[in-house]
Amino acid sequence: MEINVNGEAHEVDVEDDMPLLWVLRDELNLTGTKYGCGIAQCGACTIHMDGLAVRPCQLKASEAKGRQITTIEGLGTPDALNAVQAAWIEHQVAQCGYCQSGQIMSAASFLKFKPNPTDEEIDYAMSANLCRCGTYPRIREAVKTAAAKLRGEV
Amino acid sequence: MKSVIKTCLLSLFIVNSMAAENSIGDKTVLNEPEAGSVSTQQGLDSWSRVYEVASHPRCANCHVGNSPYPMWSGPSFTKTQRHGMNINAGASRMGVEYIMCSTCHTGSNSEADHGAPGVKDAWRLAPVEADWFGKSSVEICQQLRDPKRNGNRTYQEIASHLGHDVILHWAWNPGGEREPAPYSLQEHMDDIMLWGVAGMPCPDDINSNLNDGVSYE
Ligand code: FES
Ligand code: FES
Repeated sequence: MEINVNGEAHEVDVEDDMPLLWVLRDELNLTGTKYGCGIAQCGACTIHMDGLAVRPCQLKASEAKGRQITTIEGLGTPDALNAVQAAWIEHQVAQCGYCQSGQIMSAASFLKFKPNPTDEEIDYAMSANLCRCGTYPRIREAVKTAAAKLRGEV
Repeated sequence: MKSVIKTCLLSLFIVNSMAAENSIGDKTVLNEPEAGSVSTQQGLDSWSRVYEVASHPRCANCHVGNSPYPMWSGPSFTKTQRHGMNINAGASRMGVEYIMCSTCHTGSNSEADHGAPGVKDAWRLAPVEADWFGKSSVEICQQLRDPKRNGNRTYQEIASHLGHDVILHWAWNPGGEREPAPYSLQEHMDDIMLWGVAGMPCPDDINSNLNDGVSYE
């Protein structure tokens, strides 16, 4: 089947019901997207489908047909960082880093809906992305900085 | 923000209309009993089965009234609690304000223990007026026969809407180890029709002299 990931069409030879997360990591070698729980409980695998956050451990490969998939590798590049990625570096959010691509993808999706979120709104939006290292206070600050960047204020 | 909600609602509408065409609703039928053929007592018996369905966790957990918080209750959980992960479905009822329900509740239904259920429709809370969680049989019955709180539907429309709304069908086919709602979708629709033809009686109509002064015949 053909799936579009990070703006490129890929032909992959997989069963329709293979989890999309396996397709991304094992077939396309896009290992920035992490596997944590496999049951939508941790958020480590968060990517975008048509610009909105989804969890590919819960999606069948066939559900990605005809959709635009974006992974952390396609959100921005080291030379042209997405505002959320830039804010994450500024605040040095990552500890071990395992959860962070999921955190960034969730934050990027959330900020499309809420350009100027309050702390409470950030907490509601980001609570479903777990971080064993407890980087939550830095995540909250980085989301605020990313929001300001996206609004063109910094 | 408004335009984002509009886009989401529009896509919800499109998904809904597509879903209706292939839904298992096509396999259900609206069995209309003859007028006068169902006694009030038989109508109340049907109602008590309808209440068993409405109050079952597969239905009630998302019928939370004014609250934006889906619930986790029933045999899969050790205690009744709010949906984990601080989930708040917001005024949009589908999480547009924070994290969309569809982030985890996709078109695939997870069979895994505590995996995210999903249907080929936008996962969302029920409308505010359809307030089942923790409510009594009398309270739910009075809501369902009140046009102001039931979407201005006749009992036939309530039953046929059940046949066409795929997110509701999941309750009888929830997959994995989840306990399904009692009876079957067809039996539930039949009970609503029987209750309707009996004049939509509610348990307190005969147990007390009080009534709300409205005729539902
Ligand atoms: S691996 Fe997908 S949410 Fe945990
Ligand atoms: S940084 Fe280690 S799990 Fe989040």
